[in-house]
Amino acid sequence: MRVRIAYTKLEEAKYIAHLDLAKVFERALRRAGIRLAYSEGFNPHPKISFGSALAVGVEGEREYVDIEVQSEMDLKDMVGRLQEQLPQGIRLLEGRMMNPGAKALMAILNAASYRIRVPMALPISQSQLEEAISAWLGRKEILYVKYSKKGRQEKDIRPWVKSLAGTISGDEVIFDLEVEIGNQGSVRPDEVLGSLREVESLHLDLDQMSIKRTGIYVSYEGLNRSPLEHENSVDSPKTSVQGS
Amino acid sequence: MTEFIAAEIRRQIDRFLPKVIKPSRYLGAEWNAVHKEWDSVKVRMAFAFPDVYEVGMSHLGTRILYHLVNSFPEFLCERVFAPWVDMEEKMREKSIPLYALESFRPVNTFDIIGFTLQYEMSFSNILNMLDLAGIPLRAKDRGAEHPWIIAGGPCAFNPEPLVPFIDFFLLGESEEQLPEVLRLIDEQKSNPINREEFLLKLTKVQGVYVPDFYNPVYKSDGRIEKIESDVRVPKVVEKGLVKNLDTAFYPTQPIVPYTEIVHDRMMLEVMRGCSRGCRFCQAGMIYRPVRERSPEVLMKHTEELVRSTGYEEISLTSLSTGDYSCIQPLITGIIGKYEPEKIGVSLPSLRLDSFDVKLAEEVQKVRKTGLTFAPEAGTQRLRDVINKGVTEENLLQAAESAFRAGWSHIKLYFMIGLPTERQEDLDGIVALAKKVVELGTRLGRRNVAVTVSASSFVPKSHTPFQWEPQEPRLSLVEKQKYLKEKLRDRRIKYQYHDVETSFLEAVFAKGDRRLADVLETAVKSGCKFDGWSEHFKYEIWLEALKEHSLDPRFYASRAIDYDDVLPWDHLESGVTKRFLMREHHNALKESRTVDCRFDTCPGCGICPDRGVKIDLKG
Repeated sequence: MRVRIAYTKLEEAKYIAHLDLAKVFERALRRAGIRLAYSEGFNPHPKISFGSALAVGVEGEREYVDIEVQSEMDLKDMVGRLQEQLPQGIRLLEGRMMNPGAKALMAILNAASYRIRVPMALPISQSQLEEAISAWLGRKEILYVKYSKKGRQEKDIRPWVKSLAGTISGDEVIFDLEVEIGNQGSVRPDEVLGSLREVESLHLDLDQMSIKRTGIYVSYEGLNRSPLEHENSVDSPKTSVQGS
Repeated sequence: MTEFIAAEIRRQIDRFLPKVIKPSRYLGAEWNAVHKEWDSVKVRMAFAFPDVYEVGMSHLGTRILYHLVNSFPEFLCERVFAPWVDMEEKMREKSIPLYALESFRPVNTFDIIGFTLQYEMSFSNILNMLDLAGIPLRAKDRGAEHPWIIAGGPCAFNPEPLVPFIDFFLLGESEEQLPEVLRLIDEQKSNPINREEFLLKLTKVQGVYVPDFYNPVYKSDGRIEKIESDVRVPKVVEKGLVKNLDTAFYPTQPIVPYTEIVHDRMMLEVMRGCSRGCRFCQAGMIYRPVRERSPEVLMKHTEELVRSTGYEEISLTSLSTGDYSCIQPLITGIIGKYEPEKIGVSLPSLRLDSFDVKLAEEVQKVRKTGLTFAPEAGTQRLRDVINKGVTEENLLQAAESAFRAGWSHIKLYFMIGLPTERQEDLDGIVALAKKVVELGTRLGRRNVAVTVSASSFVPKSHTPFQWEPQEPRLSLVEKQKYLKEKLRDRRIKYQYHDVETSFLEAVFAKGDRRLADVLETAVKSGCKFDGWSEHFKYEIWLEALKEHSLDPRFYASRAIDYDDVLPWDHLESGVTKRFLMREHHNALKESRTVDCRFDTCPGCGICPDRGVKIDLKG
């Protein structure tokens, strides 16, 4: 039985690295007495797969995981038992049974939205903010320079950004950002804001920023849909459940 | 008040935590972590492991004592590890004191901080952690407002280089002693008596070593003339010892970290102690006698561990798990019961002569894990010297079993610089490694890979080799080079350790109290994480030794006389000095000594008058 679950990754759970998350779920499932399905072979792997990776320290309001279990079971019971064994900050929101042939999350998720709160380094007015954002969005190409193990790397981040808006709230700026994600890569919210600060000279204190991914989507013809309502979910009574 | 500080620490670190390596190290929110109400208990202990989280959390003793203390309603225990250098830098920059993971309270607000001494190269981290905690390093500079700083673990059997920094030590196994110590601290909190009186009271607890009451007197040549002891305390401190492992406390709801640790699995402790009698091995001497747990108790522990952790692997731990008398039924039992849940078994410490095909096949049923053998020396002669009772035939048989059962990677542990080592012993290492590789290839295993790990012998206190010098640095380097050259084969990977680290380890393993000044100077000059080659600063250590006019070779490279007073002569492991001398003689005669589990008693001295005996369940 294959189940797709929407969950949060908030508070301290935001520090669980993506690579460790599969183990966290695998062990929680075993504690819950739910038998996972495993791959065949020399070193069997549990069939748990995620959508796009969330960077360490970034909260997620609605993330997705696919879990395959050995035998049919009551979805509501499964989600309830699993919830009891998960770390604080991971809350199961919704679950749905999927067709065995449903495409993997990785293959269908292609957009993400973020909300980012950044303190101002120097006072910024709403009009300055809007001007900077529209100037930035108006550029055809925005090179972002990254230094990594491979040395200096340059990439054009503009194509990945679908929308960006900002409002001022006290000493903070709140940004709403939507980006494309896909096999060819994506752009990280801290890269977008880093660029905005540099290119448009916006006085943001990026050391103190907090980032939350508000959703990841299957985006098609301008419409953001949840991977739970994807055509491959099983549509019959008792195949979906809302978390408590 | 401390609640407010804790909230502030939490708020501050939350700002930079996403930027440090592995933030999960610093949170204390793992599954099964114990969070007690601060005001609901009488005594609060911080258990301190002087290395990073992934290393400390892999240590069984730490797990046992943490949950043991928390099993008492009147005590609480939280954890603290050495923050990695990036975290330390940020903490110092923001003046955040060392805090305990569970509550984020500064460790200097606890009643007692207990350091575990697993290896000498972590000593510098202890001082660095005290400094980061804002606690004066030296006991004489601390007052009633500071926590008691205590330490235990294997290096407590020669803790002399740490003496000025630690109020008292716990020798041996502390399952019974630590709660007793905490009760006395509770008494001290409600009815304080002066420091000396209190420490004197503590000396009545078995295993407690209060160094203030012992005073080494040195000869002009630097050797110890005698160790004076206060008339009110025993001349020799006797270690703590668990008599019955079946009834001893065991944590079956251990913490499950959210980041991968070194030994990331359930640990099932099948027995304590080892009487094989390898003459270089300190653990084999200080944890005697052998005491096993019964299979029924172990199956019960396994069930509780599986339910409480959800781990996918269980490790049967002890100093030599293949020697556990009920190993076969235990493995069969665990695999039979938990195979449907895909739980694998791993055996971390197998001896070559106790490894057989059946065991290998059982273990590999669920998941393949690495296989490590430790012949330790390259020839039968040298294996007889160290009393490692395995033969080349044992090794080849074991390797054959492993290859046939499906393994293609085998790791072989050796030591270089063992007493009496000759050229032929080095060649023996090469020959053995090649034989194993060829065997694998002949048996048709593809990707045969043999890792040869050669560490430099470090003579340790309380072993038959405690009188032996360590081989000089340069000749060890030569030997490493020789092996590297001879082991050139794409199927063989050769690993060796930094000789300078082993040299310093030997200095501290057999060091005395005068090294404390060196330690403090080195730490003040930036030494920490000495066990991590990227942080080891050999030159600074040499300078610190020079500054205090101490010659490291005096400790590491000198052949010690039987008549010399050893810095640890007042600390008792239960194995007599006479036995160790006899064993040293036997080593030089290339003569083997039997294991009392399978033969007659060689008279190591542990059993008489202690109410213990070897306890086998099979």
